[in-house]
Amino acid sequence: MHEHHPNPTRPTRHEGIRSVILAIGLCLIAAVGCGRPRVDGPAADAEAAKKLRVVLASSGGGGGSAEAEESTGTGWGTLGGRFVFTGTPPEATALVVDKDTAVCTAGGRKLFDQSLQVDPSTKGLAGVVVFARKVRRVKERAIPEKPLVFDQKHCEFLSPVFAARVGQPVDVRNSDPIGHNTNISGTAFNQLIPAGDGTIFTPSRETGMPVSVTCNIHPWMKAYAVFREDGYVAVSGTDGSFEIPDLPAGEKVELQVWHARATGPNGALVLDNDDLGWSSKGRFEVTLTADEVTDLGSIEVPASAIGG
Amino acid sequence: MLPSSPRHSASLLPAMLPCAALLAMSAICLSGCGGAPPASFRANMVEATKQQLRPEQEEQVATILLAMFGTPDDPVALPETGLDEAKLRLAAGPVRSDIVGRKNGLFREHCSHCHGITGDGLGPTAAFLNPYPRDYRPGVYKFKSTERADKPTDADLARILHNGIYGTSMPSFDLLGKQKIEALVEYVKYLSMRGETELWLMRAFFDLDDEDEGRLPETREFLVEDTLLPIAERWQEAEDAVIEVPEMPEDLDLAESIALGKELYHGNKANCVKCHGVTALGDGQANDYDDWNKPIVQLRKELDSTLSSLAETSTADMSPDELAEHVREIEWADRFEQVLAGDALEPRTIPPRNLRRAIYRGGRRPLDLYYRIHAGINGAPMPAAKGTVAPEDIWHIVNYIRSLPYGFDGELGADRPLASHGGFSTGSSGVATHTRSNP
Amino acid sequence: MRNRLAGIFWSLLFLAVPVLGVAVFAIAPSIDVWLPRDVSEHGKDIDSLFYFILALTGVVFIATEVLLFWFIWKYDAAKREGPATFIHGSHTLEVIWTVIPAVLLLFLAIYQMNAWADVKMRRPMMPPTVEVVGRQFEWRLRYPGRDGELGTPDDLFLVNDLHVPVNEEVLIQLKSMDVLHSFFLPNLRIKQDAVPGMKIPVWFKATETGQFDIVCAELCGWGHYKMKGRITIEPREDFEAWLERKYREQEATQPSAELEMARND
Repeated sequence: MHEHHPNPTRPTRHEGIRSVILAIGLCLIAAVGCGRPRVDGPAADAEAAKKLRVVLASSGGGGGSAEAEESTGTGWGTLGGRFVFTGTPPEATALVVDKDTAVCTAGGRKLFDQSLQVDPSTKGLAGVVVFARKVRRVKERAIPEKPLVFDQKHCEFLSPVFAARVGQPVDVRNSDPIGHNTNISGTAFNQLIPAGDGTIFTPSRETGMPVSVTCNIHPWMKAYAVFREDGYVAVSGTDGSFEIPDLPAGEKVELQVWHARATGPNGALVLDNDDLGWSSKGRFEVTLTADEVTDLGSIEVPASAIGG
Repeated sequence: MLPSSPRHSASLLPAMLPCAALLAMSAICLSGCGGAPPASFRANMVEATKQQLRPEQEEQVATILLAMFGTPDDPVALPETGLDEAKLRLAAGPVRSDIVGRKNGLFREHCSHCHGITGDGLGPTAAFLNPYPRDYRPGVYKFKSTERADKPTDADLARILHNGIYGTSMPSFDLLGKQKIEALVEYVKYLSMRGETELWLMRAFFDLDDEDEGRLPETREFLVEDTLLPIAERWQEAEDAVIEVPEMPEDLDLAESIALGKELYHGNKANCVKCHGVTALGDGQANDYDDWNKPIVQLRKELDSTLSSLAETSTADMSPDELAEHVREIEWADRFEQVLAGDALEPRTIPPRNLRRAIYRGGRRPLDLYYRIHAGINGAPMPAAKGTVAPEDIWHIVNYIRSLPYGFDGELGADRPLASHGGFSTGSSGVATHTRSNP
Repeated sequence: MRNRLAGIFWSLLFLAVPVLGVAVFAIAPSIDVWLPRDVSEHGKDIDSLFYFILALTGVVFIATEVLLFWFIWKYDAAKREGPATFIHGSHTLEVIWTVIPAVLLLFLAIYQMNAWADVKMRRPMMPPTVEVVGRQFEWRLRYPGRDGELGTPDDLFLVNDLHVPVNEEVLIQLKSMDVLHSFFLPNLRIKQDAVPGMKIPVWFKATETGQFDIVCAELCGWGHYKMKGRITIEPREDFEAWLERKYREQEATQPSAELEMARND
């Protein structure tokens, strides 16, 4: 009757250790958590922020921005040059056209990406935008009244890159039998353009670097536009040549260069050109001679400066 | 005689091990309750990496923003912003009750888990939602009563909070009451202005002259007058940009108007059919992106081509300088990949709206539909009909669209589903046919 | 003596369970942690059922817990000498404590049948007053509009702001748009799961006016805890006036200050 019943429910030493290990394992899993590791930027400098807040609260402008530099030259000159693509340009990719094919790919025609246009005979690089970034004088020139025509046909924009002056009317046309809408990013303009019709768009603000122009109904359509206040802007033509007239002569003028496929920051075309002192932000400086064309000659653009 | 039970023998130890393990686990778990670090805003890492900012430049931007806008717990609103700091304080900070028992920390309680503490649409819940929650930082808003490129009015934002956005995960906060909604609207504007200022500052580094050491001028003129004021003024001018809507004609014959609207829908001027589809199911096209996803797609493409060209470049003939440059480019590309993985959500195309379900995200009043057609939807591919389609014609299109969920007299056959019972397409079998991808 | 203390400690600990249990129930109504205010017609039946079951189970609870305490106290090994007596079960006892609860349960099942039928089975034959669709994480409402029919262009669409007339039978058509929710009106003693794919009728008659909560009572996702709505019970004229005003807002073709922004009504 009074047997010694061994207690079957007492855990053995092994079972005890196993459960401890299990518990620690679960804790570790819980502690690790499952989140995507995120790259953190540097923290703000709280002391500096406090001092800055005092500066911002004061009503007087503490040490204003750099004064506009005094102009040292006289007269106006013209800047010209030619962008030449060295090396073999990559094949233009065919665009996927899946809408309104009766109009867009009528007769079996194909649409190609127009962001890199190299003339096969002259090797000229078209679509390079050169604009004046820093000038100390601007020649007074009337804003052209005749609207600049920006047209689209066969579901592609006829001008892959175009430039206009702030305040210059741009006639956005649609020469297709179907409707398009033209969306100029960075502006208030995203409008339906009925077939065979056009709308006048007048840029009221200058863009920094060129902005993209798209059609939302036919998303493969893409072009670029740049609007400048002073009008010192040019887009290189089929043979790669460009000309900007009426720039201030006799003093340094800084120009910014851009291309749709350039690999530099914000699309800046960065070249290894020490003669012109080309910067890593795609800028160079020239001093022009009055009443003359300063020809920069052939500016070589290697394949490495152009990306995908 | 039963032997007395052993109380302190060694065989008790295995029994105590599970208890010890439990205690240890509780200690580890409770150690997490030591108080979380104070909340802080996240920098716009995608823009910072895109602009190739150096760490000291990122730090300068963070410092400037700290000075101009404060922290999530302690917001600062410069007088130029026109924001009411009392309302901001109600919405900001951790969830707590103030001395009169009023609930504070509204944004953190109701909004931050989707919209993020910085208002960047990257809260912990964001990745699970379709569509993604709004990123306030570009300052672009879709559903408003103002012209396309203008900011929404306070009433527009309050409307969104009252009604929620049907068809998305944005709920209705009507039950919060007027005062709390006003506080939240103010805080959203604050986050938006902060985000726009951050973008502007990060892009301003590129505009610096090459001779500057890459440091932005920390003057009142540059920061307040050149940067903050233009941003704040757009917000303040929103009230003046409200679209003027002509009255719908009194003697309008509804059936006639619907027929005219249908013609316009399919016609060449308004071109609705091209995107919204012949049967208005929104199946006209499916490959465009909205303005929040498009930059990520673009960056992803550029990054991929950079990575592949870097991989193809052989380092054999490189000079030490070129090699250093090459390594720097690889490091930047790797960092960019990490940033895109952690600070950007997987891009999604934006499908045109299915107009037959009576789900109108921006509001279902005829007035709301007029606004959408007239100005288009800012940030989305929907273009503006203003200037191309006459105001009376816009009303005809509105009437046609409002008739669509209640009967469709299209030319297509019986295989196209009909959305009866407006908005809740249960059909005759009583089975819900809610589709997640295009509600 | 340490062993006897252990026995006293454990038996008093077990005594604390019924003592504290009864104390908590006793003070609950005075600290406002008791049943919410009832404003429905059938609520009295539901509440009386609740009290009856509470009393029944309360008696059993106190009896068994006191017995437990008594046995731990009286038969503590520390103060007993000699071996324990073993018995091998008592058939009579087992029969008694099986039959009595079974009879009680059967009684309860029959006793509550009428109340259940009133709330869940005897549907009033009337067109729905409103259609409520649960959706993560809100309650979407659809009123039939002037033509009295759901699914026509004059329907009124709202979110979270349910209004019903007082002293009238109200029929709600309950649906779910995505996952399981549960439409819970605490102050009307109404709770019904909203099952995706089903149209479930819910009915009640409210007896007092006021504003009360709608709560979700079925875990439906991360926002389940804040899936709150508001039900406003008001006289018929106010109800109709409110419907009219909301319909005009919905059909607005012009912005107007009175229709904009909050009206926390």
